[in-house]
Amino acid sequence: MASPKYLYRCTPKVLIGLAIPLWILMSSCETEFIPKNINLEPELVVEGYIESGDNPLPAYVLLTRSRPFFTSLSTGQLEDLFVNNAEITVSDGSQVVKLDEVCISNVTPVRKKQLAAILGLDPDSIKVNICIYLDQFAQLIPKQGSSYKLTIKTEGQIIESVTTIPAYVPLDSTWWRKAPGEPVDTLLQLMSRIKDPVGQKNFYRYFCSINTSNFLTAFNSVFDDALIDGKDFEFRLIRPNLPSEKFDQATFGLFKVGDTIAVKWSSIDQGHFEFWNTLEFNKGNQGPFSSYTTITSNIKGGLGIWGGSSSRTYRLTVKR
Amino acid sequence: MIIRIFVFFSMFFFNYQLISGQSKSYTISGYIKDAENGETLIDAHVYLKNKTEVGAASNNYGFYSLTLPEGEYSIVFSYLGFEDQEFKIILNSDKKLNIDLISGVLLKELVVEDNKSIDQVQNTAMGRIELPTESIKKLPSLLGEVDILKVLQLLPGVSAADEGSAGFYVRGGGADQNLLLLDEAQVYNSGHLLGFFSIFNADAIKNTTLIKGSMPANYGGRISSVIDIQMKEGNDKHIAMTGGIGLIASRLTIEGPIQKEKSSFIISGRRTYALDLAQPFIRKSAFAGTNYYFYDLNAKFNHRFSDKDRLYISGYFGRDILNYNSNERGFKLNMPYGNNTATLRWNHVVSNKLFMNTTIIYNAYDFNLSGEQDLFSFRVSNGVRDYQLKLDLDYYPSAGRVIRIGGNVIHHRFTPNVVQGRSGEVSFTNDYKPKYGVESAIYYQDELKVSKFLTINIGLRWSRFEQVGPYILDSTTYKNLEPIKTFAVMEPRLFATILFNPSTSIKFGYNMNEQYSHLVTNSTSTLPTDVWVPSSTQVNPQRGHQWSVGWFKTLNQGMWNIATEGFYKLLINQIDYKESYTSNQNIEVEQAFVFGKGAAYGGELFIQKQKGNLTGWLGYTYTRSWRSYAEIEGGRRFPASFEKPHDFELISNYQASKKWSLAGTFVYGTGRPFTPLRSVYYIDQELVTRYGPRNSVRVQDYHRLDLAATYTPRPDSRRAFKSTWSFSIYNIYNRRNPFFINYDLDSDLASGRAKATAYKVSLFPVIPSITWNFKWN
Repeated sequence: MASPKYLYRCTPKVLIGLAIPLWILMSSCETEFIPKNINLEPELVVEGYIESGDNPLPAYVLLTRSRPFFTSLSTGQLEDLFVNNAEITVSDGSQVVKLDEVCISNVTPVRKKQLAAILGLDPDSIKVNICIYLDQFAQLIPKQGSSYKLTIKTEGQIIESVTTIPAYVPLDSTWWRKAPGEPVDTLLQLMSRIKDPVGQKNFYRYFCSINTSNFLTAFNSVFDDALIDGKDFEFRLIRPNLPSEKFDQATFGLFKVGDTIAVKWSSIDQGHFEFWNTLEFNKGNQGPFSSYTTITSNIKGGLGIWGGSSSRTYRLTVKR
Repeated sequence: MIIRIFVFFSMFFFNYQLISGQSKSYTISGYIKDAENGETLIDAHVYLKNKTEVGAASNNYGFYSLTLPEGEYSIVFSYLGFEDQEFKIILNSDKKLNIDLISGVLLKELVVEDNKSIDQVQNTAMGRIELPTESIKKLPSLLGEVDILKVLQLLPGVSAADEGSAGFYVRGGGADQNLLLLDEAQVYNSGHLLGFFSIFNADAIKNTTLIKGSMPANYGGRISSVIDIQMKEGNDKHIAMTGGIGLIASRLTIEGPIQKEKSSFIISGRRTYALDLAQPFIRKSAFAGTNYYFYDLNAKFNHRFSDKDRLYISGYFGRDILNYNSNERGFKLNMPYGNNTATLRWNHVVSNKLFMNTTIIYNAYDFNLSGEQDLFSFRVSNGVRDYQLKLDLDYYPSAGRVIRIGGNVIHHRFTPNVVQGRSGEVSFTNDYKPKYGVESAIYYQDELKVSKFLTINIGLRWSRFEQVGPYILDSTTYKNLEPIKTFAVMEPRLFATILFNPSTSIKFGYNMNEQYSHLVTNSTSTLPTDVWVPSSTQVNPQRGHQWSVGWFKTLNQGMWNIATEGFYKLLINQIDYKESYTSNQNIEVEQAFVFGKGAAYGGELFIQKQKGNLTGWLGYTYTRSWRSYAEIEGGRRFPASFEKPHDFELISNYQASKKWSLAGTFVYGTGRPFTPLRSVYYIDQELVTRYGPRNSVRVQDYHRLDLAATYTPRPDSRRAFKSTWSFSIYNIYNRRNPFFINYDLDSDLASGRAKATAYKVSLFPVIPSITWNFKWN
């Protein structure tokens, strides 16, 4: 979304971008180096979600380890990052459900496809034996307004977290609008409107899938209603770049006429918002004009996110 | 309590007067000026020829006063780079003596002795360095832009914020802890172009004083240092023009008398044009309308009503203006920011022993950023605005004693980052309101020679800050000037000099300072987007204690100066952003602050050669500076991001012939600390970074050599028009000093792609530049 946050965050980079022509004679120079390994123990990383909505996702968790900086890793080394045989439970206050560990290389193609869909991945693209802890039989029904407690016991450690699935605030409407600037036939911007509920903190996240792609996010996928509380607010949804696409200022964020797209619009809780907000800030801000932002986590005893959300998917065709 | 202390000091002062008043004494007083242009000379010296320890120095306005018992004296007036003047005086009544000193730079054999060096040994000032602008113009500079703040960075105890940056840190203190004054007006943002150039146009500046150690009681409000910059007053004898054309900017200064030797003016401007020159190409591109430039305009007018009264009006107006248009997608960005200051000053000689300066000051800094694309537009602005009234009295009761009394009141307005925007039909704002504060102080400072061997300087500064209305806090509405939160403290200052012989001394100093305005940055240098905030219900004042000790020596009649100093600083209530700070506009910055403590300690060596064809200095500083915040890594002490344990500078200037002058600077410093990666991990199939202990590793050491040559084609010409060429090479051996560390993470867990690269980015390679300067008298 072209929010004030997005634009304001970009300004130091714009400044640098503009300063650069002034240093035309002074090409800045990048030299590769290998950072020193600071020899601290790896930490446990949780990435787990539970989602209500038109296409609910059962509770699932990826449990991995952090590792020191590397220049490249083999598939085997990547697989070693997964933590197996952990005891993981999720509780909604009335029932406790144990998540089962399922590794992709051990399942049938049909099951692989189902697991890939939960992870939002193309099954053919998965080359690594991803292991996932899953509420296989959907014993917990994700519900708006409910809190879910995650407990992980592994290697003598206990990791805990709580997330809430907030009440869903829908996209009120979406429509296509001509691209800003010079006329262009092939590109459109996707406009949308929400009616933000008054007097309560709301946090939003959105994803886009273009044609057959996975759900992807642009570099700012989350925002809150601090500036727009209770407003009937009109804004633009930004098209994320596909992995195969290079950044092009002239087309970035705009949808190509003829494509079919899906927008997944989510309401999330504050802990979930702060995780993505700090993560995206951390990714986008390196260098002398920003110091290092620590990614906020709602995981006690580890890194990562246990995130609840309520979502709906809107399918659209890009047309004039 | 405060009144009692002042009564005590006043009693002391009057008692002392009775004692010293027992023999008949008379006073010589007046102004010391430059004979060529009538500019008053700051910190010029007047002393007895056969008893050099008896003397006085001119104040910031060129006024001096020396009281001696009745008798016959040989009195010398001296100022570095000028011929001494000697007078035989039969002192049997009070005498007024205005002195015009003649610049003796090219007549150095006439410079018989420079008492300034001796004074540096004998007075109580520590960590104080004067930089007359003329002395720095021949040093190498980045892109030919002479920059006072960058020269300050070449002094021991002062380190640069970043490669090529005009930002600086003094003795391990933060960037916001330096009091930067331009004609007594506070400058809140000293940088142009992200801090690569300072706002001080050297052509308009007369003198710069850096105080990094014993901060006298007449200064306050910052805990690290004072940089007191005076603009030129304007030639009161004849019209003169100076200027220069450089690679990125040009300068022009016009000065002259309005009424000869009574009133004068100076107007000085500078503007960059790098992107102006590119406009024909930009206009044809998709970026038509894009431009960036900055300018500075300094103006000053003064009038002497009589020998006793002089009025000055001065102002500074500077701005950076950035317009960025990307027409293809209809995106526009406009970013103007800058400082304005105005100073109205009245100097009044109440008596030959009492000098009064009354000043009314306005200063403002504002930052604005606005952008628009299609239905969306936004505007962000922040800033500071001050009105100040200030009164200073300098009293010279007897030789070797100066008493300064004064006070000031400042009304501050701090505008936080106010966001206003529009998306389609709906407008939005964070609706942050300005915060107001009234900062006031009174001070008493007494420098006196207790004996031939001991001089002490006792100072007390009582400062007070009140957050005031209009403001709404927790649904209570505060009216205009209604107090919300008050802070007040007594700041003691004590300095002493023990003189072993006229050229050797040991000095001790202690000062406590309180700071009520704060700027916290999450970058390694300060940016125009950083926001100043006041002390308030949410933020307590910063406090600094500094203890210092030094050994001072002058050799060979002032040709060589040696100073070694050690210091320890305790920093209380330091401020930083919490670890997970993001610059979102949904909270006020104060809500993202964490509070802690810090300390800095170190030693400095300064060896300066002041006279001869070869002049310059060698500086070495050892500094350690740490901070600790309970909310950052559980209070672990970590080095400040600007800590450079070893910092070495060698600066030299060689007058090879009348036509050629050569200069070189070499700097070497330990690499800055940075926060390393502790690890990387996968989220959403992509790698993210986890940072390790803050500032726990360092980039490579920094070193650089710059050279400059100044060519004067006709040095002996008597023509009114003279010009010089300055050639400068920055980073002559093309050292790739690290500027920052960058990580390129190209990884997708599911597909098995896992590549990561760390880069060290360096900024300025070797950069030659050429500047043409002229002078017309």
